[in-house]
Amino acid sequence: MLFNSIEFVLFFPIVTLLFYFLPHNHRWKHLLLASCFFYMFFIPQYIFILLITISIDYVAAIYIEKTTGGKRKLYLIISIISTCLVLFFFKYFDFFNQNMFLLSQQLGFHYPEKVIKFILPIGLSFHTFQSLSYVIEVYREKQKAEKHFGIYSLYVMFYPQLVTGPIERPQNLLRQLREVKVFKYDDLVNGLRLILFGLFAKMVIADNVAAYVDQIYADPERFSSLNILEGLFFYSFQIYCDFLGYSSIAVGAARAMGYNLMDNFKNPYLSTSISEFWQRWHISLSTWFRDYVYFSMGGNRVKVQRWIFNILFLFVLSGLWHGANWTFIVWGFMHGFVYVIENLLARILKSRKAQNRILVLVSNTFRVIRTFIIVSFIWILFRAPDFDQAGLIIRSLFNNLTLPNALAIDNKVWIFLFFFIVLDIALYNNRFDRWCGKLSTSVRWSIYAVMIFSIIVFSSVENFPFIYFQF
Amino acid sequence: MNTYFKIGLKFIVLALILIALNFLYKFTLLKSDIQKYSPIINKVTDVVNENCEIVYLGESSNVAVGLDDLDKRTISDLIADYFPLIKTGAITKEASHANIFYELLKKIPENSAVKTVIVTLNMRSFNATWICSPLETPLQKSLVLLKDNPALFNRFKLAFKWYPIISDSESEKKTKKMWRKEILKFPYEFEYSNVIDWDKGQALRGVKNQDGTRNEELSVLACHYVKTYAFQIDTTSNPRIKDFDHIVQLAEKRNWHLIFNLLGENTEKADSLVGRELLFLMKQNRDLLVNRYNRKGVMVVDNLEAVSSEDYLDKKWTTEHYAERGRRIIAAKVADCLKVLYPEDYASLGSSTEKVAAFYNDCEGKTVWSQMQTLTLEKAFSGKRASKVGQGKEYSIGLEYPVKGLIDSLTNLTVDLRVFQNTLTHDAKLVFELVGEKSGHQWNGYRIADLTGTTNSWQLISKSISLPKEFYSAELFKVYVWNTSSDPIYVDDFRIAFDK
Repeated sequence: MLFNSIEFVLFFPIVTLLFYFLPHNHRWKHLLLASCFFYMFFIPQYIFILLITISIDYVAAIYIEKTTGGKRKLYLIISIISTCLVLFFFKYFDFFNQNMFLLSQQLGFHYPEKVIKFILPIGLSFHTFQSLSYVIEVYREKQKAEKHFGIYSLYVMFYPQLVTGPIERPQNLLRQLREVKVFKYDDLVNGLRLILFGLFAKMVIADNVAAYVDQIYADPERFSSLNILEGLFFYSFQIYCDFLGYSSIAVGAARAMGYNLMDNFKNPYLSTSISEFWQRWHISLSTWFRDYVYFSMGGNRVKVQRWIFNILFLFVLSGLWHGANWTFIVWGFMHGFVYVIENLLARILKSRKAQNRILVLVSNTFRVIRTFIIVSFIWILFRAPDFDQAGLIIRSLFNNLTLPNALAIDNKVWIFLFFFIVLDIALYNNRFDRWCGKLSTSVRWSIYAVMIFSIIVFSSVENFPFIYFQF
Repeated sequence: MNTYFKIGLKFIVLALILIALNFLYKFTLLKSDIQKYSPIINKVTDVVNENCEIVYLGESSNVAVGLDDLDKRTISDLIADYFPLIKTGAITKEASHANIFYELLKKIPENSAVKTVIVTLNMRSFNATWICSPLETPLQKSLVLLKDNPALFNRFKLAFKWYPIISDSESEKKTKKMWRKEILKFPYEFEYSNVIDWDKGQALRGVKNQDGTRNEELSVLACHYVKTYAFQIDTTSNPRIKDFDHIVQLAEKRNWHLIFNLLGENTEKADSLVGRELLFLMKQNRDLLVNRYNRKGVMVVDNLEAVSSEDYLDKKWTTEHYAERGRRIIAAKVADCLKVLYPEDYASLGSSTEKVAAFYNDCEGKTVWSQMQTLTLEKAFSGKRASKVGQGKEYSIGLEYPVKGLIDSLTNLTVDLRVFQNTLTHDAKLVFELVGEKSGHQWNGYRIADLTGTTNSWQLISKSISLPKEFYSAELFKVYVWNTSSDPIYVDDFRIAFDK
């Protein structure tokens, strides 16, 4: 079920109302059923894949908790491998086959060219990681194994974050699922505010710029350099608003029932460096990689060469997590590369902090713009279906200086983007629901009215699925 | 304050805001949104604004024309030939069906001039493929803003995609389910009981060439015929029945005369490719529709077998796209039916439906004549466009037609048209021209300024001439306005009628 669909407009109030009407001991059943219904709206039979992942990690965690020593580690490895095998089978098998076939041609050994394509179950990478997080935490003895299969299933399947996160940790969500939730007016209002903000970001900003981005990426040679720049700028906001929109609705839907999910974004385009960007972008994934991969590899308490390797490995892995395509891998690598260069330069040029506030502001503004340009440029690899298309975009950006404008952009798109950027700056290190709560009633309701009107009247009528659904 | 009271109060405030936003939307952006997302309404508006008395609702059968057709006019245009004094209009939208027609008919105001409605009844629109077609999505989407709800609510439905959305894969799945589920019943033994089995059997059997070898192309086509026509309309569950019933009720309410134009299907090909069983189903469905709607007081024009195989444009697919002769046959049969309602206004075009004696062009671009580039939005007597002639464009929109396409024994020609002139200094002429080796080149021009001396308003001019004795030996006749001066004039609503 899509968050920006009529089905969800009906689903959300019914599920939330029923949640509060039911006694606590029945709520998990209600939420689990609702989550199954929500997931089965896409491809119903894929719920069985989810059931496999849930069952493996449920059993593994219990065994990990029961045992000690080598056996304990063995259960963890079995659990990780079998969970990842499901992910590999659906997400990477075809990619692996293609590359093995190409490699066999280069090296002269026989490898059959198999064409087996599976439709990727929606959100597989997300709930796989959430499930893995649980077994790792049990192994690290930071979380007790959940004996209740229903509650554990709900932890993986909790509908607001089931499809594209935030990827939750058991210490946060599993604990809350056992808590008795009492209706609080503020929870409901804040949840609704976040949903409103999320719908605005997705339907008014992301979907409206998506049409122009699609045009440019479909045939970049037709467009002038300025148009390509506009396309890159638009894509940066499309992917941000698309994912921010989904995450806000997810956090809002959970909040309305009294559950607190982690924030996935904190004004990433106001970052002054790539390392800061990754502390603000898709936080639940970045911290997952940090906690379970980076720290396991020694983090930054290693020699510089090893640290560089760790960082590059981490970012390549992050790229691969996004999609089974070399463009994603190179996209991750590029981020890692800039991250490493930035950090090495910072170590060498230990600059003195400016004292003058204006100088600090100017310097930070410059650094924010620089970071935004780097991120936007690297997004090309994320958006382009292959390297040829990415190359075409980059060539057109530099070669089409004399071509006339071929992109008729509706003025309202610029107005909404401007409005959103101003709002994003106003929300710096804050969240829409909390920020709204501090405004006077008249201003707050005026903002609601503008947002409601914009969502209904100015949203795109074309269907642009959430970008992160494919992961 | 009590929490529930607080929530209730906020709901009230929200409702008031929504009411205010609805008004804001209605009076600001609704019009442009309708033009953007529901332009189909313009066709309804045109029909109403032009005070059309007869309205024809059609799908692609009413726009498809053959490249070799001498006369590229649509079925509805050809019907209009029979009633030169009655204003007729058409609302045509590709892939439409009864539900779309019903929604559009509802938009015709009760006080409009419409008295008779002709609705295309396409038998294929009752089959599984059409009912589950992904084309339904854009059609339904185009209707959302036209529904009788508050404007903001309709826009909300559009934003949240609250209309039937059928993807390609869903369409295939649903269609196959319908094919599998429906049990076909014959009055005699037949080896297949559903479309899936029949299709498989037909594919295995194939279609043979004369030398006994399998003709792959025709075999595929035969299977397609099975999938298209092998169905029996269930009046209790087929959604089209419900939609046509709604149209009947609406017509009753509005006091419209209602005619269902059951389109011709290529029964000859169905018979030759698949066999009598398929033909049986087609005829059974036809009988059901004709009887059902005759009983409800609707005049049903049965064209199922009216058009011969050679007059279908698509030889390798099942469509109701007819070549010129096919369109004329359908138009003649509908006109025969309309004659009952308008006996006084019916103009006989001779015994042969292949030949004509009247032509009409409202300069809206729907009927293709020569010099279409002269159509302009600057001025119009009816509709939105007229043909501008002068200022470098010497020839107006004009008719060029082969004489052999006219009925026999004609003696007179009358040209009626609307003219708008700013001055009388131009030299525009209404020209009648004959071209042919035997007849020689004959050219007669009549000064427009002599036919009407009124400037700055639309004037009806009428010119009758006797046909020369060489008329039938000519190959082509032409009628147009010619203006070599720099003072332009505008012409609209050309009507050219021959009589005996």
